[in-house]
Amino acid sequence: MFEATSELGNVVLQEGQGTLTNPSAAAALAVGLAALGAGYAERGIGSAAVGAMAEDEGLFVNGLILTVLPETLVILALVVVFLV
Amino acid sequence: MSAVGSSNPEYVVARVRARRGKLYSDEEYRKLTRMGPAEIARFMEESTYEAEINALGSRHGGVDLIEYALNRNLAKQFEGILDWSEGRLYDLIARYLRKFDARNVKTVIRGIYVDASTEEIEVDLIRAGEFDDRRIRRLLEAESIEGVIEVLDDTIYGPALEEAYPAYEESGILVPLENAVDRTFYDHLLSELGRDEPTRQYESFLTAEIDFRNARNALRLARSGADIDPAEYFIEGGDLFTRDTLARLARNLDELVEYIAESQYADDLGPALRELEEADSLIAFEHATDAALLAYGDQLGTIHPVSVTPVISYILAKEREVQNIRAIARGKEAGLSDAEIEEELVIL
Repeated sequence: MFEATSELGNVVLQEGQGTLTNPSAAAALAVGLAALGAGYAERGIGSAAVGAMAEDEGLFVNGLILTVLPETLVILALVVVFLV
Repeated sequence: MSAVGSSNPEYVVARVRARRGKLYSDEEYRKLTRMGPAEIARFMEESTYEAEINALGSRHGGVDLIEYALNRNLAKQFEGILDWSEGRLYDLIARYLRKFDARNVKTVIRGIYVDASTEEIEVDLIRAGEFDDRRIRRLLEAESIEGVIEVLDDTIYGPALEEAYPAYEESGILVPLENAVDRTFYDHLLSELGRDEPTRQYESFLTAEIDFRNARNALRLARSGADIDPAEYFIEGGDLFTRDTLARLARNLDELVEYIAESQYADDLGPALRELEEADSLIAFEHATDAALLAYGDQLGTIHPVSVTPVISYILAKEREVQNIRAIARGKEAGLSDAEIEEELVIL
């Protein structure tokens, strides 16, 4: 997946006067990539949280909070949308 | 599995860490050493062993109850770990847990050899390995050693056992068969391990375990002075000994102790070796190897948080706990004093 991401970046950069001349499109791409990163981070945390919950149901709240923490990446990336 | 690999190790490690937190602490061991068998059983009933104590409580009592509950809980926990893990993680964990399969096969063969009843054999099995219930039932139903070998035909033990069977028939003793089982286990333990960093750590742990096992066997042979060929008991895969050095050193206790004292394990085993020289007691040495392995396993669990190592570290700690509680219960039964029992425990 990482290889695919960097390839995507290369294509985007090479076609310099293509898609990225439009600021809205660039911002959308930035948010999308941030969301991808958040998803990747949540993957491991989520599965560990479910494992911990299976052992002790009291960990539900902690697990939930830790699982959604990477979501802040997307929220921060969303700022870009308002800046352009 | 997705292109980035599954997140299964995270799941297994989280569950295992939660279980690890529930193991008995030093404080609880101290309480346990002051209790009688019945109180220990009650204490266990209030912790992780509740289900097992309740299930077995009507059929067994006293120290037997504790022992069977410990075995059954150990089996349940390790089966659980194998159930959760998949792919590469499963392969790595199963390698180590197969030692229970090897143990069970040996128990069944010995049981048949001495004409024990099926029930007697059954309570001594620890169903923690890779064999499923069906295979274990078929093993128990086998009426002869030939039958056992037939049941194991499609497992890794099949070919080795078949090869060893004529030697057993000729001599009438079980050593060839048991050696075949052990050797198969150790052969598979280290073959085709991966090359990534956590696996290398795992490998060096396994190597240390084999080294300690060889050292113990050699010390026992050297001390008993029995006329047995040490090379027959040699386990391949260790770092410390080769077949020849072991055969040479097992004849002379002093040289052997010196050899171990100069090896890479000197820091861990030094004090125990000195004790061995002075008091001529193997017990301290065996405890020191256990403690060194446990400390090593503990350390393993923290370097690579999401890999096979924390799981192995838990498996070791759990095994140790079971052995400690058994030592306390058996010690109480035999009327040992608290101080003597505490000496028997291996606690970090």
